[in-house]
Amino acid sequence: MDRTENRMSTPSTAPERIDHFTLFDLPRKLWIEMSGLEQKFLQLSWKLHPDNFVNASAEEQERSLKRSSEVNDAYRVLRDPVARVEYLLEIEGARKEGEHKQQAPPELLEEVFELNESLDELREAKESGGDLAALKSRLESAQKNFQEKLGEVDERLQVAAQQWDAAVEAKAGDNDRKAIMVRLNELLNRRSYIRNLVNNVAKELA
Amino acid sequence: MGRIVGIDLGTTNSLVAYTDPQTGAPKCIPGPNGSTLCPSVVSLDPDGSIIVGEPARRRLLTQSERSIYSVKRLMGRGVADIQTELKLFPFRIDPSSKNVIRIKLGDKFFTPPEISAFILRELKNWAEAYFGDTVDRAVVTVPAYFNDAQRQATKDAGKIAGLEVLRLVNEPTAAALAYGLHEKQRGRVAVYDLGGGTFDISVLKLISTSEGDIYQVLSTNGDTHLGGDDIDNLMQSVVREKILQHHRVDVSTQPELAQELRKALIATKHQLSDSKSATLRFPLPNGSIFAHEFSRAEFDALIGPIVDRTMGPVKQALADAHLTPSEIEEVVLVGGTTRTPLIRTTVQEYFGRKPHTELNPDEVVALGAAVQANILDRGVQNMLLLDVTPLSLGIETYGGAVAKVIPRNSTIPASAQEMYTTGVDNQTGIDIHVLQGERELAKDCRSLARFTLKVPPAPAGLPRIEVRFLIDANGILQVAAKDLRNGQQHSVEVQPSYGISDTEIERMLEDSIEYAEQDFAERQVIEARTESEAILAATQKALTSASSATLSTEERATIDQSVAALKESVAGNDYKLIRKRIDELNHATTHLAELVMNGAVSTALEGRKLAEV
Repeated sequence: MDRTENRMSTPSTAPERIDHFTLFDLPRKLWIEMSGLEQKFLQLSWKLHPDNFVNASAEEQERSLKRSSEVNDAYRVLRDPVARVEYLLEIEGARKEGEHKQQAPPELLEEVFELNESLDELREAKESGGDLAALKSRLESAQKNFQEKLGEVDERLQVAAQQWDAAVEAKAGDNDRKAIMVRLNELLNRRSYIRNLVNNVAKELA
Repeated sequence: MGRIVGIDLGTTNSLVAYTDPQTGAPKCIPGPNGSTLCPSVVSLDPDGSIIVGEPARRRLLTQSERSIYSVKRLMGRGVADIQTELKLFPFRIDPSSKNVIRIKLGDKFFTPPEISAFILRELKNWAEAYFGDTVDRAVVTVPAYFNDAQRQATKDAGKIAGLEVLRLVNEPTAAALAYGLHEKQRGRVAVYDLGGGTFDISVLKLISTSEGDIYQVLSTNGDTHLGGDDIDNLMQSVVREKILQHHRVDVSTQPELAQELRKALIATKHQLSDSKSATLRFPLPNGSIFAHEFSRAEFDALIGPIVDRTMGPVKQALADAHLTPSEIEEVVLVGGTTRTPLIRTTVQEYFGRKPHTELNPDEVVALGAAVQANILDRGVQNMLLLDVTPLSLGIETYGGAVAKVIPRNSTIPASAQEMYTTGVDNQTGIDIHVLQGERELAKDCRSLARFTLKVPPAPAGLPRIEVRFLIDANGILQVAAKDLRNGQQHSVEVQPSYGISDTEIERMLEDSIEYAEQDFAERQVIEARTESEAILAATQKALTSASSATLSTEERATIDQSVAALKESVAGNDYKLIRKRIDELNHATTHLAELVMNGAVSTALEGRKLAEV
């Protein structure tokens, strides 16, 4: 089968019609009370699950399939704090992934450079059968360092999320909300970058 | 509308169960010989009739080229996937098979779903004989870790067998249902299910609410190439090596001898579950006897790596559920292989608590399937099953990478929408390749299907087609596409990577009806008569042998009476009566069988019937 790159198209997500917040009767705020969310999820599941419609008409079955998948998809996104932020930005039209995904945030440039060097050295040592212990321990402390940074990003994300909720409550103007969303977007990109780093190191150390 | 049943279509044994409408309790349905277990063995007799179950298992020893076991290992797989299996199992595959395997039985070829359909039809017959009513719908279980192609193959098997499969249920979830009903337990439950050919671990939360009980799967993991068969094969390789060395007999070149050895080793393996040692005594064709004592320690050392292999998925499933072993409140063991002591102790150590084994590990999955069948049939409103998809669903992107659209352990039904457009002017097709798996490159994931969205020629980037990927409640993928510019449904022709077309299934259904046309009851009579011939001959031989000298006159008289009663029943057509008389004769000849045994040197013989000595 002809699989030249021209014929493969890049998927991009399309906006949902009934958004997840509306489905769960929630305002577009970033703090969600978890047990209440779970209750709502179970309630909706009782009503909509396909198991209730096995003897029903084909149309009803199709509808139950569609609606129950909507509920499951929404719950999956809303219960994960990071996915929740990402989703909110998407439906508000404010989600912009990092233009150069592989580019490090400026203040991290030096540390990232050192980390990549260590990763390369470890890979080479693995292949040539060299001494891994010292290299591994250096990578382990770099991993710890970046995990801490990940923690920091998560804290800042939480603060920005609280700011968003406050703005919603205060019925703040468009510009204020846009500014907060820009901030959230930056933090998401930063988080994504650091998380990839942490994962790459974990893979090499495994 | 006929009745509905729950079916466990297992690698080694299959079972059928129903829910008693009066008590609401599930029950397994016995077959004509009184056992609820139907060995998943199929044989094609020279006269063209299909034999399933215990009679087919006997034919493994006498007609191995016309028989097959463990066909579940081949479901939803292509030839490239089963290379290891081909080395360890006597599957005879049509070499031109690629993505749908064709297996040779005698001089005919069958696909794995057709063979599984014979087993399903057999169970359907058992149930119909039991109810005195037709059975047309079923809930069939599958390993939780089965991928889309394996699930589709199972559904196809149901269709070919003339059953409407209302739902595929994951085996650990079914077991949880059976236990939940039985034990009324709640909280976080881990189900460790090790069968003949597949391993599943599922982590569930059982919640009681005012509306009823919810069985929510949090995560699942497993290995669809791992089971009791692998333990058997390990024992085989050890023993075959020794037989070659000490007796210069190469078992691998003699299929029927290999099956005899396999049968003897399985018996030895079972003994090791209850004793600290078991001895294999295996008569070789040249008259000598091969003997080997397996100590429990030796056995544990041998199967250690297999048990270790199960722990990887266990750890991953817990991690995905964000739980530690001590946070699991109940552990349930499912599958015959979990009778192995090493597995019980390993699981107990890992979770720090004694696992539940109260329900028969062979029956519990079928019982759960019957519970689910009841829920679906009667619209039971107080039980809800929320299961998950075990593997991430992804789409191939530039450079052969995979973009995950539905993560593993998402509650099903689950969906994802992707928008597609063209990359060059006047491009008339957009190719989409859907995969399952956790790896980052398409070549390391499982190809599920390919399809092309047809678009009329237009400038690049103008067409907008939204594709919805939906994993239904069976864990099977459905694809729908919509042209966003005009809101119309866009037709999608999906090419499954491993599957049978609908027209082929129709053809197989017709063929299978022909096979089924040989009346079930008629066949039961034939089988019963064959068995009675064997036991009458054996009884005759034993009565004239030296060993029978010490029989009392009363015993002889009882035996003679039973023989006469059996001969009388054989002249008739009531297979249930013939079987009853066979049982009576077996009972009457128990002492005689012992006397004969003491005079013979053979494989482990405790509890053997006269016809087997």
